[in-house]
Amino acid sequence: MGTRTDGEIVRAVLAGDTEQYAELVRHYRDRYARFAARMLGSADEAEDAVQDAFIRAFEQLQQCRDPDNFAGWFFLILRNRCLAERRRAVRAGPGGDAVTVPATERADGPLEQDERRRALQQALLELTPEQREVFVLKHVEDLSYEEIAGRLGASVPSLKMRMHRAYDRLRERLKDVL
Amino acid sequence: MTTVFHPLVKRFLDGELHLADLPPELHAEARAAERLLGAVDRAAVTLPAGLDARVMAEVRKRATAPSGARRWWHGLVASREIRVRYRLWTLGPALAAAAALVLLLTPARPVVEAGMPVVATAPESVFVRFVLFAPGAHQVSVAGTFNQWSVTAAPLALTGAAGVWTATVALPVGQHQYAFVVDGRRWVNDPAAPTVDDGFGRRNSVMAVGAGVRAL
Repeated sequence: MGTRTDGEIVRAVLAGDTEQYAELVRHYRDRYARFAARMLGSADEAEDAVQDAFIRAFEQLQQCRDPDNFAGWFFLILRNRCLAERRRAVRAGPGGDAVTVPATERADGPLEQDERRRALQQALLELTPEQREVFVLKHVEDLSYEEIAGRLGASVPSLKMRMHRAYDRLRERLKDVL
Repeated sequence: MTTVFHPLVKRFLDGELHLADLPPELHAEARAAERLLGAVDRAAVTLPAGLDARVMAEVRKRATAPSGARRWWHGLVASREIRVRYRLWTLGPALAAAAALVLLLTPARPVVEAGMPVVATAPESVFVRFVLFAPGAHQVSVAGTFNQWSVTAAPLALTGAAGVWTATVALPVGQHQYAFVVDGRRWVNDPAAPTVDDGFGRRNSVMAVGAGVRAL
């Protein structure tokens, strides 16, 4: 049996075969988990975000204009969920951001490297959500500016401006460990 | 000592230049940049298997109860008229208020004056004037679904009136959720506009704009 396309699955779900949605969940749950984890600062929060995003996507599935691009459409839902969560953290003010734990810990790396990794993860939380989003997509997800622009509907110059401000903030924040 | 990266080092970070492309005096800075990127955690994240079951349980529940949440959601997002009232509003001593005024883009239509309630109607492109009274603010912008919630894409300018910030933004016809961002950190809803749940536990201001506009 051949692999079904996302478009075929989406259309089947919209036609009433709800169980088909599980295939989309299986396919994309981990693919975008890293993005969510780096945006939110922990795997636990990423799990909540991905779960919410899948439920939200199901609720809005009729609005998915291009079922064959379910992945891109779902990404935007997850991304909005992550930005909303970051706005909530900012609104909560100092101390309202409960994220303090890096998404992964490695016992095999040098201490200095681990310290730097932790410091960077914390510093990323202090960027604006938009700056962090660009940083994560480029340096964690390894997308080009052009690919990021295509996903977010933003211009490359504006993305670079965000990123370059992020570089400066990170350097300031990490000056003791770089 | 400066703590910002040299523009060439930023291009190095972007992958547009190699170390050999940089002048020797920037090599130390470039190595610091390399250490920064070396600290990026690119490890895959695997979510617990139980997530699938939880999602599908919720999906089944919602699929079998279509008249509840779905109808509620579609009621929120479906295109319809809403009233947007233009009014300055005071929230408190440190921060105040906001309003969005829908202006007509189509020529030969009267401009709606401040203080006049308006109704937005049919489809086309429109200008929306955002106004925020925020004495003491250093920077104000409006972020919303129309600019991917960017805090920098639509800055407001301080007008002659003390503490009054404005910006006129061309928006596509439709419903838009938005909020004001003060000093890059503080998100403020528009008290003069309706709000909707953003689906994640908070509320955003919302407006519906169209090509036609008339005074109430």
